[in-house]
Amino acid sequence: MKEISKKVCLLGDFAVGKTSLVRRFVLNIFEDRYLSTIGVKVSRKTVVTPGPGDLIELTLMLWDLAGSEEFDQVRASYLRGASGAVLVCDLTRPETLTSLLTYADDLLRVSPQATRLIVAANKLDLTDQRRISQDELERVATRLNAPLYLTSARTGDEVETLFRHFGQMLVGEGG
Amino acid sequence: MLEEGQRLSDGLADDPAALDSALDDIRSILLDSDRQQARELQAKLDELERRVEDKDALTAIITPILSDAIRRNIRDAREEMIEALYPILGELVVRAVTEAMRDLARSVDAQMRSSFDLGALARRLWLRLRGVSSAEIALREALPFAVSEVFLVHRESGLLLWHVSRLPDASDDSDLVSGMLTAIRDFARDAFGRSGRQGQLDEIQYGAQRILIETAPHAYLSVVVDGVEPSGFRATLRDRVHEIDLAHEAVLSEYDGDPTPLASVEPVLRGLITAPTATRTGLSQGQRRLLLWTAGILGGCMLLTCGLGVWGWRTVQGLAAPPATLTPSPSPTPTSSPTASLTATLTPTVSPTVTSTATPSATPTRLPTTTPTATASATPTPAPIIGVMTGAAWVYSGPSLQSQRLPVYIDRGQSVVILARAGTWYRVRWSPPGEAEVLGWVPAEWVGATSPLPPGLITPPP
Repeated sequence: MKEISKKVCLLGDFAVGKTSLVRRFVLNIFEDRYLSTIGVKVSRKTVVTPGPGDLIELTLMLWDLAGSEEFDQVRASYLRGASGAVLVCDLTRPETLTSLLTYADDLLRVSPQATRLIVAANKLDLTDQRRISQDELERVATRLNAPLYLTSARTGDEVETLFRHFGQMLVGEGG
Repeated sequence: MLEEGQRLSDGLADDPAALDSALDDIRSILLDSDRQQARELQAKLDELERRVEDKDALTAIITPILSDAIRRNIRDAREEMIEALYPILGELVVRAVTEAMRDLARSVDAQMRSSFDLGALARRLWLRLRGVSSAEIALREALPFAVSEVFLVHRESGLLLWHVSRLPDASDDSDLVSGMLTAIRDFARDAFGRSGRQGQLDEIQYGAQRILIETAPHAYLSVVVDGVEPSGFRATLRDRVHEIDLAHEAVLSEYDGDPTPLASVEPVLRGLITAPTATRTGLSQGQRRLLLWTAGILGGCMLLTCGLGVWGWRTVQGLAAPPATLTPSPSPTPTSSPTASLTATLTPTVSPTVTSTATPSATPTRLPTTTPTATASATPTPAPIIGVMTGAAWVYSGPSLQSQRLPVYIDRGQSVVILARAGTWYRVRWSPPGEAEVLGWVPAEWVGATSPLPPGLITPPP
């Protein structure tokens, strides 16, 4: 089985749940405090996914980037060499959805090859606080040309599915 | 007033109960405060007793007091404290320093023993010429140094390209380490390179371990080391990473996450791994090679001495014997061997005054004759026919493939002495350096003779 690795960035505003999504998906060895120290924490998850002709053992190197103004200048270098990104917004905060367009622009400017994007609308478990409609989500996802998943890092809803789908996107044709 | 007191006293005398009550009142008035103080003192005493019995509490109380007292004492009476503590601390320090010096001496000894390769000697000579003393060289070389892990990392993505480790149970998290290392590099560059200053993070230190980083256009090397690296090690790292970068430029510039095309870097990275030098006690490769050569030369000298001894003894025996005629060999094979060996035969040019035409194979036979046939000059010896192997060939015991194949293989380019020809085979003598001489047959097609063979050496095919 062919083994490949890909760098993937998690982008989104502060407290949308990027770190929680990663924590739900992978087992970390680095503590979360790295994120607040240098603005990034690297995690890893290996998935087996069908590739062109054969199964592929894909190692996703997940770069969880701090969603904070403080790290804006530093973040650009962290985006280099990425194959794609998981764009995360918070269903209870509408402004976090529109930010995704900016994050995608930043990413493509630094890493033009990072064309694989996927949107995670997180905190699905906070049903009564939800303030973003399905239509709004789909509009942004369409503009980004990215699949959309409604996730909950707390309950684990759709987290695994999202990352597996993203893995397929990365090793698929041209990935 | 006195009268009233007297009356009250008389009344109390008549009533004992009233007297007691009155006395109690008086006691109460006089002793109340004392009793209160006594109760308070008792309570304090109980509390103190409790604290004294509770060791932890007692320690917590007296520790700051004692610490403060000691601190003050050290500050105010430094000389006295030193004098008081010297017998204890001095001995400890001396013991620790002695142990460290002994370790260093062992390291220097081991280094001196294992540093006989020519490269090291040349380096030492160069350093000596530049004014560095032998002791300083030995001390520097004895400093411990070991490379435990080498990471080759894709510069842009931080993906691990290749990893080698000296430790058999190395962590599987090398890809995570390379990712975080890249993040730290990027962070340092962004944090300190904003003002236009160019630079790279080229070293991270953690305790006794350091991570040395050398960067090429598409990849960088991270090497985890213990101790002080020898001079030139950085340059070696730089050379290696640039060589790798150049050799795999196409893969690295468009890296797709598949490290398979980079498998050839494994021996290069493995070559950077070194064991701890200070604990190295075995022979170095150069030292082993030197010993092997010395043993070979000594062995050769012994063989030569034995051969000469036998020859001398036989010569003396021959001279001391009654007049005799040494018969020539039935087959006057030229035997002037350039090398000494046990199979070398007595040469026909021993001395111009002795009639010696000893044979390569037969012991001289003394014939009882009174007419010596000694000749004043040696029999002319044909020059040896030198051949060069034009191809590698096995050596056979006879001039055919059906004969026994000897466990000897002569490589292309080796020189041999052609002794005879039988059909399409040459009988050759081959003298590999440091090894026993070999006599046998090889196919003539693989031997290029440097001159034509005399007809006497050619026999018809068997």
